[in-house]
Amino acid sequence: MNNCLSLRRHNVCMVSDFFYPNMGGVESHIYQLSQCLLEKGHKVIIMTHFYGDRKGVRYLTNGLKVYYLPFPAFYNQCILPTIYITFPLVRNILIKEQITIVHGHSAFSTLAHETMFHARTMGLKTVFTDHSLFGFADASSILTNKILQFSLADCNHVICVSHTSKENTVLRAGLDPKEVSVIPNAVDATMFVPDPTKRHPGKITIVVVSRLVYRKGMDLLAGIIPDVCQSHPDVQFIIGGDGPKRILLEEVRERHELHDRVIMLGMLEHRKVRDSYNAGMLEHRKVRDVLVQGDILINTSLTEAFCIAIVEAACCGLQVVSTKVGGVPEVLPPDLIYLAEPNDQSLREELERAIADKRAGRNVPPFVAHNRIKLLYTWRDVAHRTERVYKRVADLVERETKERLSRYYSCGPLSGKLFVIAAVLNIWFMCFLQIFQPSQKIEITPELQRTYILKSNANQKNSKEEQRSQKRTLLECEDSLTNGTSSKILRRSNRKRTKSKKEL
Amino acid sequence: MADKQQKRWRKILYEDQSVPDNYVDSSFLDELQKNLHTRKYDYWTVCEQSGEVTQQISSLGLFVVAYVYMENGWLSPHTLFTITTTLTCIGYLLKMYIDHYYQDTTSNRTFLDDIKTALVFAGFSYGLSPVLVSLTETISTDTIYAMTAMMLLGNLIFHHYGANAALVSEALSLNAGLFASVCLASRLHTTWHSFSTVTFSIEIFGLWPMLRRNLRKHIPQTQRWLTFLLMIITSMLLWTFSTVAAIFYIILFLFITFICPAWLVSLQPLKNNIHGPWDEAVIEEKKVS
Repeated sequence: MNNCLSLRRHNVCMVSDFFYPNMGGVESHIYQLSQCLLEKGHKVIIMTHFYGDRKGVRYLTNGLKVYYLPFPAFYNQCILPTIYITFPLVRNILIKEQITIVHGHSAFSTLAHETMFHARTMGLKTVFTDHSLFGFADASSILTNKILQFSLADCNHVICVSHTSKENTVLRAGLDPKEVSVIPNAVDATMFVPDPTKRHPGKITIVVVSRLVYRKGMDLLAGIIPDVCQSHPDVQFIIGGDGPKRILLEEVRERHELHDRVIMLGMLEHRKVRDSYNAGMLEHRKVRDVLVQGDILINTSLTEAFCIAIVEAACCGLQVVSTKVGGVPEVLPPDLIYLAEPNDQSLREELERAIADKRAGRNVPPFVAHNRIKLLYTWRDVAHRTERVYKRVADLVERETKERLSRYYSCGPLSGKLFVIAAVLNIWFMCFLQIFQPSQKIEITPELQRTYILKSNANQKNSKEEQRSQKRTLLECEDSLTNGTSSKILRRSNRKRTKSKKEL
Repeated sequence: MADKQQKRWRKILYEDQSVPDNYVDSSFLDELQKNLHTRKYDYWTVCEQSGEVTQQISSLGLFVVAYVYMENGWLSPHTLFTITTTLTCIGYLLKMYIDHYYQDTTSNRTFLDDIKTALVFAGFSYGLSPVLVSLTETISTDTIYAMTAMMLLGNLIFHHYGANAALVSEALSLNAGLFASVCLASRLHTTWHSFSTVTFSIEIFGLWPMLRRNLRKHIPQTQRWLTFLLMIITSMLLWTFSTVAAIFYIILFLFITFICPAWLVSLQPLKNNIHGPWDEAVIEEKKVS
């Protein structure tokens, strides 16, 4: 082994129902984190359910292997919760990929919960990242919280994206706060570079980039647009995104005759999207194209665990006005954000303040803001901190079955017993599987990445070129479906690699 | 190192505070609030308000009593019709008086409208009573009784007791009551029987709760006496033909009036409703204009 790799190498399996071609916060989080972990020399694979005709095994940039499992989406892009049906296939993959840590994402993802449950049964370590906030009041949240409690009772470590999210998750799942780490999201700063030339001179442009839905506070936005437009003749709004609340905003625009002041871009995605979950999301590059035109971004969300949108905007050099909900107050330093209470009046006041500051030139210059954000939230930092969690988890002594069961048992008077039954059934199921498909007989998949990683560590400068050529190869093989083709490609890329090695 | 620890930890993400990622500060969960919107109940107030439920149960009891009396021939349908119609007229005058006195003009129905509706209703009931009396004749008595019991229970469940619950449906409640009366009407013999039963059911399931609601709104002190009076009348009338029913009714009454409120008040401190910054913000109801 190379000396540079004094770090322990982990074989990580990221699992979530949400992944590309779906677009969203969780999806890009998984992708970016995986890329950075690959760069650090770990083995990473991703497991998700199939999307349309995207089935089987696919390779993404840098040989990131993605399993699109044959479980159909059932509700909101999640698979049908069956607990046991997924076990044989998941077990097979975890064994043949020699996974040591299973990392589930999103509390809504059934696949993540089930895979983590199976991984614990198999004695693998699990980490879970929670990306969302949840209430406690209504019946549906009580049920969801119970399921989360079941899933996290035996999880080794939990990651939350903000301190508020941590408090929320600790309360929901009844966890020890010491077993929960806070690792914020990040932005790819190279994607969000300010460009002041794109701004509209002589005007103050207020940008909204969001899905137009109730939870994003579109009713609040509809309430303040007419007043702000009336008191400031040089203010214009650009609204990017789509959703059920679009009609409300259009109605307001119509009624106040603001067609030239409120520009609605709608959905900017050039790719056709099939499902409603995706509808209204913008692609990153398009988001940036909208953002750089603006002076101020307004975010009216009613609940938000981290809010990546305001970080992206600050990274593009915009002033940010946002509602003070969830984890939002933790995200940006006070000189980059104007925080308002979630009501019309407070939002209007803060927006007025931002406009006044903009006119007086008191705001932070775009590139200064960009450079600060660039250092604040980087995926490399996220990967580094996640790696620390992996190390911590890997060093833990494996719990005995008795202790595992007692953890489930303490979840509640009735639910505890049900959870224990579920866990014991899974252990029996594993024994059955061991008889019918012994783990020794499962073929280990060959690795695609190893040499590349060793080399990239040895020489930073050359690794970039290498990465580029690698990317080309892998984009070629992106559409391969079976393992047979992938091994062919493996040989091909190996040949290429030896060639470039010689050049070195 | 000591210097760093002295600096107070802040709940922010944009600064490296040199603590491990799983650091738990003493301020953890400081913003958690419990039971923000929990009401404190006063035992006697709840007891009094439980009258809304017991009054409805007593009304159902009276309806059943009227049926049993007619079935046994102790009460002629004409007498029943006379009594209930007289009482209804008195109640109507009372309601008119209350509305006038307290300036409660929620509906713009006139006296003439009400008379017209009443006549149309009475006319149709009378005209259809030969049909009603034979409508469920072929169905066995046991089935009829079971159905009636179910329907009366449905009436109780869906009745509007003043709470805005999803379960409440006045129309469903009234229909269940009327269906019960149609079922029972077929066990009686003449068209007059069926006519007076149906009229009585409309009065006691449709009009009577409206009057009670009106009284409760404007003269709340009448409620405890009304509850008590209804309970005495119902239990005495029940006693005349079934001691068991009367005792059962009284036990139910005491349970609802005294034990259930005590139960509610004693369980109230166990309420554990948590609020915090993670709650979804609520927009005040305001139409964008």
